[in-house]
Amino acid sequence: MKKKIGIYICHCGGNISDYVDVEKVKKAVENDADIFLAKTTMFACGDTNQNEMVDDITNMKLNGVVVASCSPKLHLQTFRSVSERAGLNKYQYVHANIREQVSWPHSDDKLGATEKAIKQVKAAIAKARLAEPLEPMTITAQKAVAVIGAGVAGIKAALQLSDMGTQVYLIEREPFVGGRTAQWERIFTSNETGKEIISRLYKDILSRDNITVFTQAEVVDYSGSIGDFKLMVKVAPRFIREHCVEDNLQKAIDVCPVEVPDSFNFEINSRKAIYNHYPSEYPYLPVIDIQNCTRCGECEKVCKNIDFSQKEETLNLQVGSILMATGFDPYTPADNEYGYKHIDNVITLPQFKRLLALNDSKLMYNGKVIKNIAYIYCVGSRQVNGDNKYCSRYCCTSTIHAAIHAKEKFGNINNYHFNRGIRTYGKQELLYDESSRMGDIYLQFFEDGEPQIYKEGNKTIVKVKDVLTKYKELEVEADLVVLVTGMVPRKDNAIGSLLKLPRGRDKFFNEIHMKLRPVETVIDGVAISGACQGPKNVTESVNSALSAATKSFSIVSKGEIDLEPVIAIIDKDNCTWCGACAEACPYDAIQKTVDGDKSYAVLNSTVCKGCGMCLPVCPSDAIDLTAYSNHEIENMIDALL
Amino acid sequence: MPNTAPQKAKILVFSTEKISDPAIDMAGLLKLHYPPTVNTITLPCSSGVKPRWILHAFEKGFDGVFIAADGSDCSYGESCTEKTGNIVAKTHEMMKERNIDPARLKMAALCSVCSEAFVKHVKSFNEYLIKSSK
Amino acid sequence: MQSQIIKESFDTLVVGGGIAGGEAALNLANNGYKVLIVEKDLSIGGKMILLSKVFPTLDCAACITTPKVSEISRHPNITIFTKSEVKNIDKIGAKDFVANVTKQPRYVHVDDCTGCQLCEEACPVSVTDQYQFDLVGRKAAFIPFSIASPKVAAIDIENCTLCGACERACPTNCIDFTQEEENYEIQVKSVVVATGFKLFDPLMIPRYGFGLYKNVITSMQMERQLAPTRPFNTVLRPSDGKMPDNIAYVLCTGSRDLSVGNPICSQICCMYSIKQAQLIMGSLPMADVTLYYLNIRAFGKGFNEFYDQAKGMGVDFTKGKVAKITEKENGNLILRYEDIETGKVSESEHDMVILSVGVLPNQDANKLFSKEDLKEDRFHFVNQPDILASPAKTSIEGVFVAGTATGPMDIPDSILSAGAAASETISYLSRKK
Repeated sequence: MKKKIGIYICHCGGNISDYVDVEKVKKAVENDADIFLAKTTMFACGDTNQNEMVDDITNMKLNGVVVASCSPKLHLQTFRSVSERAGLNKYQYVHANIREQVSWPHSDDKLGATEKAIKQVKAAIAKARLAEPLEPMTITAQKAVAVIGAGVAGIKAALQLSDMGTQVYLIEREPFVGGRTAQWERIFTSNETGKEIISRLYKDILSRDNITVFTQAEVVDYSGSIGDFKLMVKVAPRFIREHCVEDNLQKAIDVCPVEVPDSFNFEINSRKAIYNHYPSEYPYLPVIDIQNCTRCGECEKVCKNIDFSQKEETLNLQVGSILMATGFDPYTPADNEYGYKHIDNVITLPQFKRLLALNDSKLMYNGKVIKNIAYIYCVGSRQVNGDNKYCSRYCCTSTIHAAIHAKEKFGNINNYHFNRGIRTYGKQELLYDESSRMGDIYLQFFEDGEPQIYKEGNKTIVKVKDVLTKYKELEVEADLVVLVTGMVPRKDNAIGSLLKLPRGRDKFFNEIHMKLRPVETVIDGVAISGACQGPKNVTESVNSALSAATKSFSIVSKGEIDLEPVIAIIDKDNCTWCGACAEACPYDAIQKTVDGDKSYAVLNSTVCKGCGMCLPVCPSDAIDLTAYSNHEIENMIDALL
Repeated sequence: MPNTAPQKAKILVFSTEKISDPAIDMAGLLKLHYPPTVNTITLPCSSGVKPRWILHAFEKGFDGVFIAADGSDCSYGESCTEKTGNIVAKTHEMMKERNIDPARLKMAALCSVCSEAFVKHVKSFNEYLIKSSK
Repeated sequence: MQSQIIKESFDTLVVGGGIAGGEAALNLANNGYKVLIVEKDLSIGGKMILLSKVFPTLDCAACITTPKVSEISRHPNITIFTKSEVKNIDKIGAKDFVANVTKQPRYVHVDDCTGCQLCEEACPVSVTDQYQFDLVGRKAAFIPFSIASPKVAAIDIENCTLCGACERACPTNCIDFTQEEENYEIQVKSVVVATGFKLFDPLMIPRYGFGLYKNVITSMQMERQLAPTRPFNTVLRPSDGKMPDNIAYVLCTGSRDLSVGNPICSQICCMYSIKQAQLIMGSLPMADVTLYYLNIRAFGKGFNEFYDQAKGMGVDFTKGKVAKITEKENGNLILRYEDIETGKVSESEHDMVILSVGVLPNQDANKLFSKEDLKEDRFHFVNQPDILASPAKTSIEGVFVAGTATGPMDIPDSILSAGAAASETISYLSRKK
């Protein structure tokens, strides 16, 4: 059949046409063979142009379409669906990226940009000439979602998915749920404590029969793809049998002679080797930290339900989508960064928050009553020399809130905030106002005027040239210095590496597009939410978790999912079976078949993922990839010259 | 030879849909500049580049070919970098047989936000190709 | 004449067709729910569709909104009423709501209009164009703006002289002055409030001279000057059409300011001002841009890097509150401000001043319910009774809230909050089944 190709070249409202002469591009290609129509348009993705394309394709019976506009990551699907609406097979649509890869990087060379745009469009035409109608491969979606991480984001996502009627596996690496939220005390704006939030949400989880919670559980292996992921999960034992009488367990904790730094309290105090963080924690059952347990047997003497014979279990789960809610780590200051670990009364913001929770009547640290507190902001965030150029977003508000809390709870506290410009955005501003009214002192510095901290005898002095008082040098004698540490990605990124989730410039997991697809990743079927995507407060984490839940739900509720029909095609006549392709294939998708005296390779198309690793290893060039045949690629190369 | 403006080398880039092409897109987003004679063809995975495509590009007149490999981020498997490396090694041999300078084929692993690295690579590759053609 | 009331029913009523309302509607529709969007304006797309580019990626706003708007308007599960208002919503029984919705006449048959603009050419009446924020004029018969959805004409009946020129010019005879208000009674199971925000009106701060000095404009007017569908195709100062070369931004205009009754931070002005500064430096490379600020709130993903980038490009950041603006004879402006770093009151001259106006609540939301109590916070934004664990819930069961109806928010946060509102709505509807 004769090819009739339509071309649409987008101005992108100036984003392209300011640097690329789109009319010249149109003229350069409109007389090429098989080109039936060439147009320029202000916004190719706009409704008007989409409707015009549908009319053109239908009326002129086009059997190939090219749009030259922004990156295919943004609008390939938009124009594929335009083609479908017009009755054209969506794989006969070809996209040319003349914005991210032409007008923007070559804004310094308009002539060069225009020439490159012409080549890119010609290459797309070369591909469109050969594009055959294809049928997508469909798979049945598993009606279950794995939520990784049971902090506030993961728990909320799980509850939402449960409401929507989906089976949920909530997988938590720690022995207890609640994540970071459980570690915070009162949280702005409602003053509910982290514990209270987690506890009411967890009680809700317990009332659902379609949520299964795993603690001390880690995903160790995965295979499959969107709609049908297979996860291997290892669940570590608690070494305590359920239905244990609480009293006896408390005795077991009391008699344990082992003391280890308590990570729940950011190591400002210690816990036993058999422990829970606080009495109402979920799950109710304590856990034995087997790494630090000396097997002295003391706990067994007072509690019959200790069971050291419990073994690690391996579970295999099948899910249609994976929702990541793995959270963040607080930044750990470098050795001697503002005296950290060198000056005895320098702690971090998370430690300070636990200190507030653990002290009752007096605020004490290192056996000393605390009166003057200096807060040094932006530690580990907005770094001038380090890699963390980003703002951690939650810390200004969180610090001011904690400082007010300290004053209210203990009285007789003086707060000195050494900041780089307070960022209490939105209604959080009220808290900043309140703190100023309560007499908190704010001293500001810029990136080149970091405060100095040093010892003078027993005294700890913080000194800064304060921007707000004409750079006057001001000193504060501090009983406690709180380093306002920001958020960093989790140090242990095993699950991220396993799933191959790409990270952004800030090293947090990266979404496809902040505004168009804010909770999706390039790994189809894997959604991200909460602070694993970047610093967020509780409200913001929950909003993103709920958005991600809807995204995961729309995958598993579809029933059938279309996969790209890109797979290897083996020309058995040319194949002489050497086995190289089978060896190269990471999915065992290629097997040897014997037919009389001829042996050749056969593809299992349901397993093939279309990576193309088998292509270059074939000595007789007998393998092609759908839509990436020799003919297509070589014609594209010719067009790009 | 009369004096001509500094020439730009024709470079063909093989990028990958999910990892290196997003990095190249981001170079545009950040308005990082590189020569407009750098053109990209996107594939699912860098370990699927056939040597014959590379040779075809040289025969038709490209000065250089750059494979923007997935590296350890490849979603198809750990062996990606090694396999892409094998392709490059094999193609280097074939280039030698055809009297093509093997340095005209380069590869580097690029993560999905390695836009600055991409620009650095193609710029220095461009300089090398211009110098070596003189 | 009392026209007859048309009855229809949907799963969800979304009040407001901006990006938050649109996103919530799309999420619901993609999961099989029938949605009605009621939009007061002539086009959906809200404020975002009128913006130039968006921070921190500098994507053009239209590139993000137009395909979304197109998807929304084409979705089989979504019905859109533009130029319509929800007059009242009441709960009926324990579960359902009934909403009275009024559709104002457009005086154009939407299905027949091709958007050819011949009526615009024919119309003899010129008035200021609200979609260009009064920078230029439009006709009384007009298409709201080039990427409007629906992109069809409307008659501004307030200003129309009924001369009939548009009717004669229209090739499809789609202009119809006999159209009347239509009244609907809509039964729904749930409601999403996405009424958005209002911009602060700088006339409330007379000492800045807005409305008096021609070269003092608002950030939204500058936004239009920088947009792809902009009126002048370049940045001009209004008094004499000269290209400005020394521009000042006055941040916190109407925000963090008790004297105008708004103590909170508007959350977006720092970033949009930094964005505009970058765009101005791109289009007028010789221009100097100074931002007068109190604190720069560059808190979101990629924001601080974007702020650093602006500093690197040479945008001047002066920490100080502008007290007063006065005009010189040549149209230039003198800014009197307290320079915090020197502690002195200083003056500086600029040839154009942009007021970075803040975010105020759109109090339309508070009038939606007559019997039920849709609680508001002390600033008249919609209250979030469970802000930490369920930010999209309101004081009424079955009513959810999306976007800036709850307070200032940037675009990514609005979209995520709309996703959350849709998610809560879906769970609510599935639990009800």
